[in-house]
Amino acid sequence: MSTSLNDANAVISTALPRSRSNQLPAEPVTRIRPSRFWESLDFAELWTQREVLYFLMWRDLKVRYKQTIIGAAWVIDGVPYPIFAYTALLLWTFVSNAVLSSSYSLVTNAQIITRVYFSRLLIPAAAVGVRLVDLLIATLVLIGLMIYFQVPITWNVLMFPVFVAEIAALTLAVGLICAALNVRYRDVGTMLPILLQVWMFLSPVVYSSSLIPERLRVVYFLNPLAGIIDGARASLFNLPFFWAHIAISALVTFPMLVFSIHLFRRMESSFADDV
Amino acid sequence: MKPIIKADSLGKKYHLGRRETVAPTLREALKDSLKSAAQLIRGRNRSDPIVWALDDVSFEVQPGEVVGIIGRNGAGKSTLLRILARITRPTRGLADLYGRTGSLLGVGTGFHPDLTGRENIYLNGAILGMNKQEITRKFDEIVAFAQVEGFLDTPAKRYSSGMYLRLGFAIAAHLEPDILLLDEVLTIADASFQKKCLQKIKDASRDGTTVLFVSHNLTSVKQVCDRAIHIHSGQLYDDGAPEAVISNYLKSISH
Repeated sequence: MSTSLNDANAVISTALPRSRSNQLPAEPVTRIRPSRFWESLDFAELWTQREVLYFLMWRDLKVRYKQTIIGAAWVIDGVPYPIFAYTALLLWTFVSNAVLSSSYSLVTNAQIITRVYFSRLLIPAAAVGVRLVDLLIATLVLIGLMIYFQVPITWNVLMFPVFVAEIAALTLAVGLICAALNVRYRDVGTMLPILLQVWMFLSPVVYSSSLIPERLRVVYFLNPLAGIIDGARASLFNLPFFWAHIAISALVTFPMLVFSIHLFRRMESSFADDV
Repeated sequence: MKPIIKADSLGKKYHLGRRETVAPTLREALKDSLKSAAQLIRGRNRSDPIVWALDDVSFEVQPGEVVGIIGRNGAGKSTLLRILARITRPTRGLADLYGRTGSLLGVGTGFHPDLTGRENIYLNGAILGMNKQEITRKFDEIVAFAQVEGFLDTPAKRYSSGMYLRLGFAIAAHLEPDILLLDEVLTIADASFQKKCLQKIKDASRDGTTVLFVSHNLTSVKQVCDRAIHIHSGQLYDDGAPEAVISNYLKSISH
């Protein structure tokens, strides 16, 4: 069967818009192949699609703020807590909300996934991004509280953004894994709130990690969140940093992020079929 | 001439799934994975009944061609478009696209009901692959084409389905991709807007855009397409001039 019956009709008009050249690129712009075991992450593609990330975040923030009269006030639900607990609570609220909303993000955006292609990674990433904006607003409140309670602010505070970045990476990793699994196995979403609660009690959110017996600490700090929350507190309240714990949390977080991206990319090709 | 789309024995296999379970659960998958470790990620029982929604489909499309894809419901037309739009991966075969692809596989994809028309133009445009400057540049044109001038600051949830469709199509039509994939989007448009859209497709093709157009409206296929492809039970059944392909198709239906 001939596939070029209509060459005569395919003549391109000479009055092409400036964006379009007569010459097709030598290499395909898109190569479509069956999925393989190892899908590498295309950073160039992510970069060209960065505005999608921005607009997905913008959409969710816009819709949220539109329907609330008190604006940003909802972010501060833990003000009466002592400021020390508030720091951890603020970080935990971020982790919990970001993991939940990124895990559900693919299912709630199913209509987009089944109709348009862009890197699916951007959807849970935008969900984490939205919560990160919440965290930044809540941090402003925290700074206000610190000034009010006359907590001395030292150079240690420069480490705080580092811990925020690390907690965002950790949250993205967990969110990517749960999001990918939740597309296929909907019971993941049902179990998640319970698992998160367990995670909270395994982290120094409502108690101090100094309560953990010495012999259990090695195991306790395998939870990367423990090192991050302790580190964040230390940075704000000028306490000593426990570098070993901070190092362990980084050594767990970043391989986990790499693994989660791999898992996500691996499962991504069938999202549209499963969602 | 070098083709802009090259599809080589594309195949897509779907698992129909075991009948006992409604939705798979992780608990079950973990239980299954004791048997096979790979199954947790692959997630399906190898003995499931399968169907080839698309089977060994090869074709080439020249730049600027408007190709109509016809066939019965469930023949695999949408699956083909979804593979070319990168929404789903083929099980077998490969395809190369030598240009930027825009796809409209459903109207108003990603419209948020609480956002206004103006906001949705930006959101939808970005999702379809335009950047902010491009959208701003084409904004007035999109609004005029969709005839929603008076409703730009109205939340999309108050739009009629016709307005939704017009705005959705208008955004996609102004994407100016090299390859435009359209799936059955005009069925709910009224006659005058359909005509306007078909004209837009013709104009785009004259400017060099390659269009793949799935439709059950054989008259519009005849009107705008240079070529038609008939897909039957997942296979490429006929390929050629629209008149010939359509009359064969009609004959095959009446039998």
